[in-house]
Amino acid sequence: MGMTRGLIITALFGIVLFLLIPAYVPRPRFIPGFAPPPDMWPRTVSMIGIALGLLLAGLSFLPKAEAIADPEDASAIRGNTPVTTLLIRFGWTILAFVIFIGSVKLLGFLLSSILLLAVMLILTGYWRQKIVALLVAVVLPLALYLFFSSALNTRFPIGSLFKAIGI
Amino acid sequence: MLNDLLVAFQAVATIENFLIMAAGIWGGVIIGAIPGMTGTMAVTLALPFTFYMQPIPSILLLVALYKGSTYGGSVSAILIKTPGTASAACTTLDGYPLAQQGKAGKALNMALYSSCTGDLISNLSLIFIAAPLALLALRIGPPEYFMLMIFALTTVAGVSGRSLVLGLVSACLGLLLATVGEDMYGSFRFDLTVDMQSGLAVAPVLIGLFAIPELLKIIIFRNTTTHKPMQMGDNQVTRVELRRCLKAMLKGSMIGVVMGAIPGIGPSAAAFSSYGEAQRSSKNRENFGKGELEGIAASESANNGCCGSTMIPLLALGVPGDVITGVMLGAFMIHGMTPGPMLFENNLHEVYMLFIGMLFSSVLLFGAGKATMRFFSHISRIPPSLMAPIVLALCVFGIFSISNNMYDVIVLLAMGVFGFFMFLFAIPAAPFLIAFILGPMLEENLRRALALSRGDPSILVSSPITWLFASLAVFVVVVTIRQQLKKASA
Repeated sequence: MGMTRGLIITALFGIVLFLLIPAYVPRPRFIPGFAPPPDMWPRTVSMIGIALGLLLAGLSFLPKAEAIADPEDASAIRGNTPVTTLLIRFGWTILAFVIFIGSVKLLGFLLSSILLLAVMLILTGYWRQKIVALLVAVVLPLALYLFFSSALNTRFPIGSLFKAIGI
Repeated sequence: MLNDLLVAFQAVATIENFLIMAAGIWGGVIIGAIPGMTGTMAVTLALPFTFYMQPIPSILLLVALYKGSTYGGSVSAILIKTPGTASAACTTLDGYPLAQQGKAGKALNMALYSSCTGDLISNLSLIFIAAPLALLALRIGPPEYFMLMIFALTTVAGVSGRSLVLGLVSACLGLLLATVGEDMYGSFRFDLTVDMQSGLAVAPVLIGLFAIPELLKIIIFRNTTTHKPMQMGDNQVTRVELRRCLKAMLKGSMIGVVMGAIPGIGPSAAAFSSYGEAQRSSKNRENFGKGELEGIAASESANNGCCGSTMIPLLALGVPGDVITGVMLGAFMIHGMTPGPMLFENNLHEVYMLFIGMLFSSVLLFGAGKATMRFFSHISRIPPSLMAPIVLALCVFGIFSISNNMYDVIVLLAMGVFGFFMFLFAIPAAPFLIAFILGPMLEENLRRALALSRGDPSILVSSPITWLFASLAVFVVVVTIRQQLKKASA
């Protein structure tokens, strides 16, 4: 774990330093010579990050330093569940998030939230209490929608589908 | 002065004023407890109502909302691991573990006692030492700010858990993410999309990092065995516990007062500094992050300790220290009062009325906190498999309402997934958050200082104040490294 993590961290900061900063942190022409340019800080932090990643990878070879490099990890709560099952559950959750974001324009914020909440209740396993879960999935987003739109004048997206049918 | 204060006391002690302050405190507690809704939002929303009110009751309403929301942030931080406000993020570290152990009531009570203590001390400081503190605040320039931020960042070591290296990695990630958006010269950094030009707001990052990973853990690992419903009999903070936490509370209040008086620092930095200090000086430092009452006392006393003292630069110098006091400056001006040295000449009676009203509001905060605690305590009885999706809905609606933009909701969910990966790699989330909040101030002041000195770094250690903060930071780092090495050799 220690070695892989160290290398991943090094790679992450390396991508920022060598790819993202040159492409996405431009140096404006009007800054006088003595003032630090905008890329100074992200470059410094990325370099420190790379050093720390390499340090972590290096520490994984020293058994004495394991305590300061490798605290308890997620395996403690993973139990005996196969990795495939965990990945499938993770995949479903990410898919639900992506569909929620994509569906707001079409179905509107309220309906998308109801669907998201229903899917989350299914995924957490609470859906066995069908009536309570259904009530929560419908009533909570509705109550929040009414509260925020009336008390704070929040303009939630209505959705192109509802606009098309004149709601 | 005493006579003036007594006259002001008479003027403030009316049922109408009490009702206004109680409504403000109560509303603030509820707003602060809702993830995504902040004290700034509460104060801004209430501002139009104050147009039709008398000057002092209107300012008192805004102050009450500010105080209430600062305390309210701790409620959701403790019960659902979702800090209602950024300044309550530190409270999550020990509050939520206590709630998991079935001691949510104890944590909420400690948060309330500490908030009220911090608030009271802050108000007294405002009344008695406003002038010297305002003068100190005036002497703080970019180099001093930078060193102060470096000192505040040493808290990272305290909240890194067992691994300082992983804590530093987390802090670097936070510093890097804080650079997204417009920089001080107007150019854009890491603007992969047009929305990213506005940067990443604190609320979605903060809430995403703490609240969403809990949902993902429940969904993916289906591990809910740690949930214990809160026992009502385990609600009270004992005298022994209160005595044990008193030092952290008083120290936290003073840190809050000093950092609140400096424009631009704010309660989040104060809470983290106080937490770090409490951990360093505590006999139970090993228990911090696992459910230590001293941690809650330090964090909450410091963030509420800022509430009164943020008014010091506003009243004494006419300089608003943050957005909330900026809104209050507007309220003062609407009612024909101009904060600054002349305010004490022209509107002394009103100033004293404000002082007295703020003292009353500390007592009202205690009452409102106690009254709402029983209601909030029921939240911890909800099973996590139901609670986590409810929290998600609250977060999604709350975050959308801040900017009426789906971008913040996307940031919220993305940060949740990022936070989950941090958990998988055992990278602590707290250092990330501290760095994300302090990062922009740190960078801006470093660059300003270097620009002032034409690139000469010696400006960073050019005054006694910078030396003081630099020495404190070095001391803390050395002590932490020694502790870590001792642990490793053991």
